Amino acid sequence: MTVVLFRIDERLIHGQVVIGWGTRLRPRRYIVVDDELAGSDWEQDLYRLGLPEDADGEFLSVTECRQRLPELRDDDISTVILTRKVESMLELARDRCMEGETVNLGGLHHSTDRVERLPYLHLNTGEASQLREIVSEGVTVTAQDLPGSRRVDLETLLS
Amino acid sequence: MSVLVTSACLRAFLRTFLIQGSWNYRSLVGSGLAYTLLPMLRVKFRGEPEHLSSAVRRHVQPFNTHPYLSGIATGAVIRLEEEGADPQMIERFKNGIRGSLGSLGDGLVWAGFRPLVLLLALTVGWLGAPPYVVIGLFLILYNIGHLWLRIWSFMIGLQGGHRVVERLRAADLPGLTKKTLAAGSFALGALIGVFVVDGRSLGVGLWPWLLVSVVGFAVGHRVGYAAWRPTAVLTALAVLALSILGLA
Repeated sequence: MTVVLFRIDERLIHGQVVIGWGTRLRPRRYIVVDDELAGSDWEQDLYRLGLPEDADGEFLSVTECRQRLPELRDDDISTVILTRKVESMLELARDRCMEGETVNLGGLHHSTDRVERLPYLHLNTGEASQLREIVSEGVTVTAQDLPGSRRVDLETLLS
Repeated sequence: MSVLVTSACLRAFLRTFLIQGSWNYRSLVGSGLAYTLLPMLRVKFRGEPEHLSSAVRRHVQPFNTHPYLSGIATGAVIRLEEEGADPQMIERFKNGIRGSLGSLGDGLVWAGFRPLVLLLALTVGWLGAPPYVVIGLFLILYNIGHLWLRIWSFMIGLQGGHRVVERLRAADLPGLTKKTLAAGSFALGALIGVFVVDGRSLGVGLWPWLLVSVVGFAVGHRVGYAAWRPTAVLTALAVLALSILGLA
């Protein structure tokens, strides 16, 4: 198996990911890539509560995940990789480390500097250009909150 | 705990029933959470309108949770605010707990408990109970579980504060979910069994339904949790088809 889902979602491990995508993709491991969470045990404990019993959870910094990415993409354990920031996913994708993969945009919520692109997806100008940079690294970017929802490609999203 | 605080906690708990009342894509249940916390915040920041206003603004930020487990977040945040915890730490606590409460609640209630109670009520109905008994049984059983879950959630949140994780781990909600799903499979088997022996819906003979029961059980046993949604849809369609056959 391999990395079955790369997803950007501020909520990280939650119902849409674990029940919605998890029941479809059956991952055995969830990796959260976030520099702050990688160093905070008590916060990791909170997120781990939402993991299904038959799946492991790991919290890695962006640097750690980049180092392990080739191994993770070629691993027997099906894995979901989650970031809460577009920037973190871009760092993973740099130097064509994720070429051929698809990044799923699952939930970036309203804030004063963001514009609504879909009801569950709000982006500021910086995030929009970071997503274009991810595409330039050979990665497809689509927005889809749940497996049964409409998939929207990045160009449609930003047009 | 003073009478004022106790009264504020009680009002906060009652307000958790309305936490989804202003659900929206911008803040999800953020404004609902701020509304549930308001009685406690008014006590905490009495005579300090600027601090009160600032606290409310912090809590209307995007937040999500399963409604029945929302008491865990509400109770814990009340405790943290009461202890004067750093607002940034409270924010990080909310960010960490929101996803877990969603996935725990979705599995336990929507995938496990609600279908279980519905199947039990349908079985009683097919055995011959009048509609008002079926509906009444569903509402009573469902709301006993629902109310218990809300009260328990609020209490452990209030007692645990940011250490509520330890209490949640001890409660083993994933284990309870697993048992609820197993009980749901049993209830589905019972309902199919009632169909099989009933005779009203056996226009095409006993063996086809028996075969359907065995295949349904085997599929449920092998892929149960992963297939809950398609299984639920198929079960509903099967019940509908059998009902039509039974009435024909």
